[in-house]
Amino acid sequence: MEAIISTFTNPYYLQVASIMGVYMIAALGLHLITGVTGQFSFGHAAFLSIGAYTSALMSLYLGTPFILNLLVGGLMAALWGVLLGIPSFKLTGDYLGITTLGFGEIVKVVFINMKITGGAGGLGGIPRETNVVVVYSIVVLAIWGLYRLQNSRFGRALLAIREDEIAAESMGINPLLYKLKGFALGTFLAGVSGALYAHLMQYLNPADFGFSRSFEILNFVVLGGLGSIPGTVLGTSVLTLAPEFLRFVREYRMLIYGALMVTMMIFRPYGLLGGIDFGKMFRRYRAQRKSMKDKKAVQG
Amino acid sequence: MFWQQLVNGVTLGSTYALIALGYTMVYGIIQLINFAHGEVYMIGAFTGLIMVVVYKVNFFVAMLAAMLACTVVAVVIEKVAYRPLRNSPRLAPLISALGVSTFLQTLVTLIRGGPNPLPFPQVIQDTVYILGPIRFSKVQVIILILASLLMVFLQCTVKYTKIGKAMRAASEDYATARLMGINVDRVVSFTFGLGAALAGAGGVLVGMYFNSIHPFMGVTVGLKAFCAAVVGGIGSIPGAMMGGIFLGVAEVFGVAMGFDTYKEAIAFALLILVLLVKPTGLFGRPIQRKV
Amino acid sequence: MRKKRFIFLLTALLAVAMLTAGCGGGGEEAAEGDTIKIGFLGGLTGAHSHYGIETLKGMKMAVEDINAAGGVLGKKLEIVEGDHGSNSSEAANVTQKLITQGVTAIVGDPTTGITKSAAQICQPAQVVLMSAGAVGTGVVEIGDFIYRDVLLDAVAAPAVTKYLKEELGWGKVALVTTTGLPYSESLTSIFKPALEEEGIEIVAEQSIMEKDTNFSAQVTELTRKDFDGVIFTGYYTEGALFMKEMRKQGLNQVMAGGDGLLGKELYELGGNAVEGSMVYAGFAVDKETAAGKTAEFIEKYKANNDGNIPDMFSAQGYDAVMLLADAMEAADSSDPKVFKDTLAATKDWEGVTGTITFDENREPIKSPVYLQEVKDNAFVVKAVIPIS
Repeated sequence: MEAIISTFTNPYYLQVASIMGVYMIAALGLHLITGVTGQFSFGHAAFLSIGAYTSALMSLYLGTPFILNLLVGGLMAALWGVLLGIPSFKLTGDYLGITTLGFGEIVKVVFINMKITGGAGGLGGIPRETNVVVVYSIVVLAIWGLYRLQNSRFGRALLAIREDEIAAESMGINPLLYKLKGFALGTFLAGVSGALYAHLMQYLNPADFGFSRSFEILNFVVLGGLGSIPGTVLGTSVLTLAPEFLRFVREYRMLIYGALMVTMMIFRPYGLLGGIDFGKMFRRYRAQRKSMKDKKAVQG
Repeated sequence: MFWQQLVNGVTLGSTYALIALGYTMVYGIIQLINFAHGEVYMIGAFTGLIMVVVYKVNFFVAMLAAMLACTVVAVVIEKVAYRPLRNSPRLAPLISALGVSTFLQTLVTLIRGGPNPLPFPQVIQDTVYILGPIRFSKVQVIILILASLLMVFLQCTVKYTKIGKAMRAASEDYATARLMGINVDRVVSFTFGLGAALAGAGGVLVGMYFNSIHPFMGVTVGLKAFCAAVVGGIGSIPGAMMGGIFLGVAEVFGVAMGFDTYKEAIAFALLILVLLVKPTGLFGRPIQRKV
Repeated sequence: MRKKRFIFLLTALLAVAMLTAGCGGGGEEAAEGDTIKIGFLGGLTGAHSHYGIETLKGMKMAVEDINAAGGVLGKKLEIVEGDHGSNSSEAANVTQKLITQGVTAIVGDPTTGITKSAAQICQPAQVVLMSAGAVGTGVVEIGDFIYRDVLLDAVAAPAVTKYLKEELGWGKVALVTTTGLPYSESLTSIFKPALEEEGIEIVAEQSIMEKDTNFSAQVTELTRKDFDGVIFTGYYTEGALFMKEMRKQGLNQVMAGGDGLLGKELYELGGNAVEGSMVYAGFAVDKETAAGKTAEFIEKYKANNDGNIPDMFSAQGYDAVMLLADAMEAADSSDPKVFKDTLAATKDWEGVTGTITFDENREPIKSPVYLQEVKDNAFVVKAVIPIS
């Protein structure tokens, strides 16, 4: 028993678990954008950095409470998401990916050049407010919210856009508006995740939010299973823990990682849990039982 | 001063153009952003270095060897990492491409024994020609001439050869081309190889011009070349050439005008600007929505 | 029904947590009491691996020397290695792991950025962090457990500027900064007032980017100006390539800069173009002046490393461990809360890199500054400038 308690109070495990949760929130945001709505975003880290810097600067200069900083960080990221989304969503698939990629690099350079963010030297001295409890409360809240959302009218509209935008449009869905809303929500989660990151690491550097970080988050979402919440959670857990466990292979680590990405895609192009919807499986199981009972029409 | 900066910009831009061509040709046919293309360019530079240092061959032989090596590497990458994913969701080959790129960067780092840059030997005695207010270095002249020659060669291949015709057909309509009896797999392999050969040449030229190569050199240059391809209109060969030169010149003039701290953002800002004004790029075909 | 899904997810999370618990850890159970653990934080792999590997080499030599002489307070020293692969977000995890493994002090990281984020963890955990390389601003301000044993640019740059003016007669300079590189930006902000103080005019300021290779535009701008030399505040790769571009465009001035330029890559990449360029650092192998501890250290390092000479990072890694050991002895305690105060009181301490005094802000004042010059593809000591 004591061993279990000490496990849960071991600062190293807590640190790793917190970081994992923070990335999970970011990955859930990207899951909504890419997995559910089917829009490419290659600049997710930029929204993390916007949230992170906003919230860090607020607590450093205004001394506002942590919860407010989290919210404002998320909203700021969502605001920029909308500002970028309005012109970009007129473009299709790959082009959107490309503008977000460009946006990500521009945001990084802007943060390097800004005085208030400490420029390239980074921003330190941010109070440590994030802890495991806060992180996982938000993770659970985000998962619950996303489940509710995906099974709502709104969520189904997003799925319809992913499957066939033109068909969705002819069914009376305004794709631009729905995509924008989905993007705003996804970037909001990224902003919150960034704010948590800032108050966990207590030090921010623009270089940590570059192109490679964006692709790392995309990896979490795709390798776990595109469009699946358990997949996103699993992908994030496995890939954030992997470097901790692979530390012993040292310089071969990234070699293995790269090769793994390729083989994964070849053998499971939809990701580990891709195409498996636990909710749907459960509903189907329930429906089957129900149909056995009263032989009424069953919806798939 | 203006003319000098223009020369600098065009030289830089022509190296971007050589790499951008590979992105554009591949995208034109299979709509894949080949993120591993930057690493192919890096391998070209390293092959050139090995040829010059170990085998003591002259510069042109080294460049040909690099082009050949890159062709082989790219064809293998296509076979292993992309072909099995031809019918997978759009993100799968993209992730696979990133995996290949991580793999190659690490592999070269391991072989080279560290991420630090290596000097590229001075293979050509660098003399400077002065033309009025402009100074041309011999290397700059070689880069401009070779890059133009390669691009003309590429244009001819695409325009006048049978495989070039097949490439154009496949990029026009992949499925129909296949139905018309074109071996599209071969066309795709050929396209990857051709693009890689140009990138390999680019790698050696850049190595020679800037005297320094390292395992991560493909990342930024690859991204910028990709921007160039998009700015020019992805899928369009003249677009990639013009886009590359446009970006090179814009970057150099941006620095000269005092935006030196924003240099890395210039390419991306232009990219977004062009996409918003003319979403298909400067030379791109209009996108048709298929219903 | 939704509840069941939650339970599933919670179980999944819990399972992951247990998995972590089961696999990680390791060395924690090692018997306490008979050894004093010192952590090493740095990149043994990745982009900064060179610094990390050299720092660790120096640390190991120091531990060997100390243990051979009977250890500290009758206990042996032991190094716990933490490799973060030059990745700053992993660095936080590694730091936390080292602390969990029971280290009393951590030596590392050679870069300012990672040191800052590690310091945020060490300070509340009350573990001494001694960086053997972080020269940027805002490091020791994080708290009284944070130290460094480096030559600060704020100490060295004014001394070097004075030398440039008085001995070499520089009156006008061009200042080149690598934007996006914290080291370079902070060095530039130190050089600017120093140059002004000495009455040296900055006739041109240019920025370049880290990892960039094309400096033609910046150099073309410089061709319009008249100056005696270049103050270059970035790293050796860019420095070498910048000088090459200058020679290409017909400029013949030499450059001077900080220890970011120190690395054999400078002349390997730069060749003739960097001949005569000057670099200052807190440590250099100078056969004429090396004596005592320093000479011993150099000999021992050479014997262990196929005749290669030690660089600044291994020397600073060595001194870092020695400083900690001496502070523990003086405090008669290996408790960080106790020996941090004796460490802060260190005055005129003799190490292999020179003498170190911690001032009232716990910033190191190190003497002397070694100004080196590139000559025939090697660094040779041009001047040893004492700091008063």
